[in-house]
Formats: sequence, C-alpha cells, structure tokens
Amino acid sequence: MLRRILFSIFSLLVVVIIVMLLVYSLIDRKVIFQSDDIWNKKYLNDRTAYEYSQYEKFGYMYTANYGSFLKELYADNADYENDPQYIADKNALKKKETYESNASVQKFIETYTEKGYEISYLEPVTYSDGSLKPGGGAALYAIKERFVLSRLWDYIKGFFSVETTNDVKDPNLTERYIRFEDDPYGWFAVVGSGTTHKYLLYFDDRFPFIHQNFIHLNLGVSHTRYRGEEISTVITTPQGEMYKRDVVFPTGLEETETAIDMHSLKYNYNTGNFEKQRFTDNYTTFTYRYNGLSRLENSFVAGFLASILAYLLGLPLGILMARKKDTWVDKLGNVYVIFIMAVPSLAYIFMFAAIGTGVFRLPYLFANAQPKFLGYILPIVSLALPSVGGLMKWMRRYMIDQMNSDYVKFARSQGLSEREIYRTHISRNAMIYIVHGIPGTILGSLTGAIVTERVYGFPGVGNLLTEAITRHDNSIIVAVTVFYTTITIVSIILGDLLLAKYDPRISLSSSKGGGR
Amino acid sequence: MNENEKDVKIENEDELFVPITQDMIQSEKIIAPRYSYWKSVFRIFFKKKINIFLIAVFVLIFLVAFIVPIFAPYNYKENVTILSSQNLDPVQALKFFSDKPECGPSIKWILGTGPYGNSIFYGIISSARTSLLLSVICAAINMTIGIILGAVWGYSKKFDSVMLVIYNIIANIPYILLITVLVYVVGAGFWSFIFALTVTGWLSIAYFFRTQVMIIRDREYSLASRCLGTPIPRMVSKNILPFLTSVIVTLLATELPAYISSEVYLSFLGIGLSADVPSLGRMISQAQAAFMVYPWEFWPPVAVAAAITIILYLLGQNLADASDPRTHM
Repeated sequence: MLRRILFSIFSLLVVVIIVMLLVYSLIDRKVIFQSDDIWNKKYLNDRTAYEYSQYEKFGYMYTANYGSFLKELYADNADYENDPQYIADKNALKKKETYESNASVQKFIETYTEKGYEISYLEPVTYSDGSLKPGGGAALYAIKERFVLSRLWDYIKGFFSVETTNDVKDPNLTERYIRFEDDPYGWFAVVGSGTTHKYLLYFDDRFPFIHQNFIHLNLGVSHTRYRGEEISTVITTPQGEMYKRDVVFPTGLEETETAIDMHSLKYNYNTGNFEKQRFTDNYTTFTYRYNGLSRLENSFVAGFLASILAYLLGLPLGILMARKKDTWVDKLGNVYVIFIMAVPSLAYIFMFAAIGTGVFRLPYLFANAQPKFLGYILPIVSLALPSVGGLMKWMRRYMIDQMNSDYVKFARSQGLSEREIYRTHISRNAMIYIVHGIPGTILGSLTGAIVTERVYGFPGVGNLLTEAITRHDNSIIVAVTVFYTTITIVSIILGDLLLAKYDPRISLSSSKGGGR
Repeated sequence: MNENEKDVKIENEDELFVPITQDMIQSEKIIAPRYSYWKSVFRIFFKKKINIFLIAVFVLIFLVAFIVPIFAPYNYKENVTILSSQNLDPVQALKFFSDKPECGPSIKWILGTGPYGNSIFYGIISSARTSLLLSVICAAINMTIGIILGAVWGYSKKFDSVMLVIYNIIANIPYILLITVLVYVVGAGFWSFIFALTVTGWLSIAYFFRTQVMIIRDREYSLASRCLGTPIPRMVSKNILPFLTSVIVTLLATELPAYISSEVYLSFLGIGLSADVPSLGRMISQAQAAFMVYPWEFWPPVAVAAAITIILYLLGQNLADASDPRTHM
C-alpha cells in the first residue's frame, strides 16, 4: 500500500512536469498578449518592458530591473532622489557611451551575470532629430529563464503555507499571540495577532460549520480569469446574493443590513480613521458573505445527487433487463443504452434541455431559476441519465454472465426461490464489478461536468480548465491538473479498498495467495 | 478394386441396400463440411434483415456525403453580405431565394439558412463527409497502433511493466489540455486535428487489448502450444488474434462513432477544426446558443450526427455478434 501511495505521488509529479512542459514550453508564449489591451497600447521598449513583467507574472522567467536595483543601492541615503550621483547613474542609460562607462550599470551587469541572468539593454529609440519616439525610452533588464525542475520545486515548496505570528511585518504591532477567545459572532474562536487573518479557527452557521485559517493550500494564482486570486479560494468562495444581517462592530458601532463577514478580517497596514470607528485593532480588511453555494459545492451537490439517482435507477433496471432477457423490457432498455452509447453527449443534453423546458416548464438557465433549487433539476437529470444507460448496460452484462454459472444451477437444484437466487446470489456477485467505480463516480463529481455546466450556465468547477486554457492562465492549468489527478488517484485507491472490503476473495497485497 | 470385391455376392437384384467395401485409406481422413470463418460471419450477419437495411442507409449517407459536395460545393460565407438572408427558417429561405432571379427555387434551401445566410442542407452534407473521414482515419490509425502495441504489451512481461507506468502517467493528463496544446503547436486544420486525436488516442485501445491478450495468453491451449515450441509470431497470429476478432470488431463499433462524438464535443468547447473545414460539431456549437429561436439550424446536424453514430454502432455491434465463433452453430 505504501509503495502504491509513493508511486501515485511520483506519477502526480511526472504529470505536473509534463503539463508544465506543455503549457510553458510547447505553446508560444506570445499568445498571452493576443487579447491584451495594455500590450496593444504600448510601443517599442515600453512594450518589451511590459512583456518582461508579464512573463515574470505568468511564471516564464525571473526579471530584475535596473531602476529598482539603483533604489536598493542608494537605500541608505534618505534623500537619494536629489543626489546628483543617483541622477547621473539613472540617466546613464540614455546614451550608449555613458551606459558602457557607468560604474553602477557595470555593477548591475556583473551582479546579475554572476547569478546566471542575461542582460537585456533596450537602447533608446529616437527620431532623426534626436527626440524620443513614443515608448522608446531606454531601459535595462536582467532576465533569467525558469526551467521546469526549478518551477516544479518552487511549486512544491509553496504548496502549503502556515500562518504564524510573524506574518505581519509592521513595527507598530506590539502584541503578537495566538489564543482562545470568546467570539461575539460565533461560539468561540482561536484568534491571532501578527497573523494575516484574525480568526484562525472559528465556528459559524455555514457548512461545514468549523473553519480554519492556519494552513492554506496554494494550488496556483490566476492571472487573467480571476485576477490575482488563488484558485482554491475561487472554487470555495460562496456565490449568489449577499447575506445581509445586522452587525455590531467591536467598537460598539451598529450597522444594519450589511453582508460583512466578521470572520474574514485580515491585517490592514493602512488602517485609517474610518476603520477605527468600527474596529479596535488593525484587522480591518474584510470580505462579504454570500448566500449561495460555492463553485465546488455546486458541482459536488449536482454530481453527487446525479450519481445517487443513476445508481438507484440504473442498477435495478439492469437487473430487470437481465431477468426479462429477450422480452420487450430488455429490448426497450437496449434501445436506450444504444441511444446513450452512440449519440454525441452534446446532442442528448440539449434534447433533455428541450424536453425539460418545453414539457416540464423548468428554467433553462441556472441564473433564471426561481426558486433556486429548480435550477439544479435539469443539470442533475442531464448528468444522471447518461450514467443510467452505462450502468444498465454493465449490470445487465454481468448479471447474464453470472446467471449461466454453475453455482446458480446448483442453487436452483437445491430448491431456492428465483427471488432469493437473484437477490442474494447473482446480484451480489454482479455488484463486485460495479463497486470499484463508486468512489470514482462520487469523487469525480468534484471535478464538475464541462458540457452540462456550459449548457445550463451552471456555476460549478467544470469549466475551470477550458477557461484557463482559452485565457492562457498557466498556473490555473497546472493547479487544475493537480486537483484532477489527485482525485483520480484517490478514487482508484479507494475503489480498490472498497472492492477488497466487498469481496473478501480479492487481496491487494502482491505476494502470492496472501492477504486473506 | 481389390479381391474383396470378388467375395461380394449379390443375392437379390432388388435389394435396396448395397454392401460396400471398407476403404482403409478413406477412413483415415476426417471428413467435415468445409468451414470458412468469414463466410460464416457474413452468413450470420446477413440473416438479420435489419443489417441489410442499416448497410443500405449507411451506403446512401456515404455516397451522398462524398458525391454531392463535388457538384454542390458548400461555402459558409456565401451570403455573408446579404443580411436579410441570415437565419431564415426553411419556408422563408425557400421563398427568399426563389424570388431572387439568379438563384431560383432550389433544394439547397430546404433546411433554411444559418447565421451567415449559409445553406444548412449543403452544410450538413459537407460536414458529414468531414465527420466520416475523420472517424475512419482516426479509427484506422488508433486501432492499428493500439492493437499491435497492445498485443506486444500483453504478451511481453518486460514491456508490460514499462508501459503500465507510461499509461498511468499519460492517462492522468487532462485530455482537453493535451488536444488544445497539440492543436496550438501544429496549427488548426483537418490533419493536425487528426494528429491531436491520435497522438495518445491509441493508448487506451492498447491498454484494453493488453488485458484481453493476457486472458488468452494464459489459457491452457496456449500454454500447451508454447510448451510444444511454437514461435511467438505464430502464437500471436494463430492462437491469440483469431480468438480476439470479435473483440476487435466490438472495439471498432465503439471507436468509429466515438470520434464523431468527440469532434462535436471539442468543437463545442472551441477546440478542434479550423473555421474553413465544415464539421457537424462546428454547426452544432454555432447553433447551440440560440437553439430555441432557430431550431432548424440546430436539430438537423444533431440528427445527422446521431443517425451516423447510431448506424455505425449498431452495424459494429451486429458484426461483432456475428464474428463470435460461438454463434456459428
């Protein structure tokens, strides 16, 4: 088992490496500017400088800027901006001769060449009369390509982050602690000072009722689709309408009808007077609370209910088809199975949508559903009905295989009733093949359904990957891959364990005949 | 023939039974009716009248899809400048174009027009050709590579351990990501799309086939044959592959329609064939946003895609049933 888990981790790492190679090396990096308005408005050297900064943000390379290098160099001097030496150093870039002779420039080049950087000097671009062209200002950069292994190492290093009392780098903060406190907005809470979040562990009325801020998972930060947000936050943040109620602030100030989430408080370095009216400390940055489910919860609820519906319908129908083999029941079932197997999934999802809206008057788009739960019905049905077809097909096949085996003939000769034979003997043996897939079906609903979610405008996680691909959100692609792969690997391991539990004849250990 | 004959005395000329002599050479030969595998397969296959009907329909679709576009080329930008010709339902479209002197009444507009004033009917015919070509080429490439490698994979234990690692890793890379990146790298187009579908497409076929080969490989008759010193190529070609013919045909029955489905699916996501290649997936994905307003643009390509996939699936399944030797009684 340990070997298996280690191998799973190894294959996860290889998958991440391959995906990183695919998105960072195989696709031309220029595509990130395809629909970038800022890039379109910049020219010449400004454009190159902007490209460098974007490349760094997207994780293609490390860059260093001569301007910020100079500022660090003169950090001791408080009034450095008026220092003639500084100004001379700064203006040295404007001409090629001064660029080559200036000491600070040479120092910059030397420092970064030693670290393996490449120097990129953007020479000033001028008109024939000597004035600068728009965007033609000189600049000096040092750039270093990031390679797959170093990128992977950085990713693994930053995967988990733990909040400590030294997170806040504010000299004005005197008290640093983590302690239990009574929580006026919940039950009790673990409160930190010096940590990024104020509430590290707290209770509220939202599922799963207990929440923590100690450990954060850093799957990847979005650059385009969800500007600057961590993907695990994106998929777990509730959506929908604001959850408004009356709130009493720590200072005693009351505010009615507000959606401020008091448990989301984060340290604010620039706490002003307005915040001081509400809060007694510097933890004043908050987010709002929303009523609806998060993307992950939406996908899971829909997928989970759909898989339960599928098993409840598919297994009995498969058994029925096998029992009534070659009668009209079996034939009708087969027509359905062939329809599901052969017709493109897109076609029958739209067919279900047309029937659902036309005949049952269900809302077509999730956003238009009133009351909200009606919006879940069509996606759940569209997810369940195809799986019903698959389950019917396999259950029928396995049942028929079992029906011809010797133990069934024996049971019949012993005078067992047909009902008993089917219930306790054939069905249970046929289920062995089905059991393995159950964890995969349930966990798989966490990854969402691409087509179904698109058709109904369902706010789930299914479209994260396709959205990230079309918008070149590289770190999201990697994050989603890690998420999917982990779920697949865990599902297979859980499936094997469940199978071994259900059928004691199956042993997971590789040694011969062992494990019974 | 020999002296036995002389001993035979005919006692009664009217006797119905005539004694014949025992032929030692003939009795050494085993006489059975001649059995040809493929003849039996097709005898069983054509016994079902539905199969003849399905083949007829399929041949009809095939001929229409490959011959009609030669005489009636489809251009989706044909009426892009005539705004009043766009999104017309069949009745309006027939009226609109028969009123125009240079067109006259034509079967071309029998299914209405699309978002660029394009003929839905011609579009479907040209798209059906793309879909059929795509599925046949992809299935041919993937099945060939998949079956050959799967046979080796199932037969050689050394190869097995290496391939399992590769399979576990590649199967975990998101399919959509792989297709998108490959389409980006080689550029959009018919052949690059085929390349993207076949680069890893054979892997799942090979994996499925490996398991089947392993089951047969360890059967008693195979073991006995190996003990007698049958060389590996002969083992594979005479002992294992004939047993798996019906498995291969079953695979083919699921693979052929699967490529049409995945083209539709990928086009819906905006990945896949370039705009100038007419395809069912592109037509469906273009029409899906307004499928309730302009149903004549959406349902005909869906129906054609469904019809082709169902016919291919049923034909394949029935051929697979017929190719199972156990039905040749």
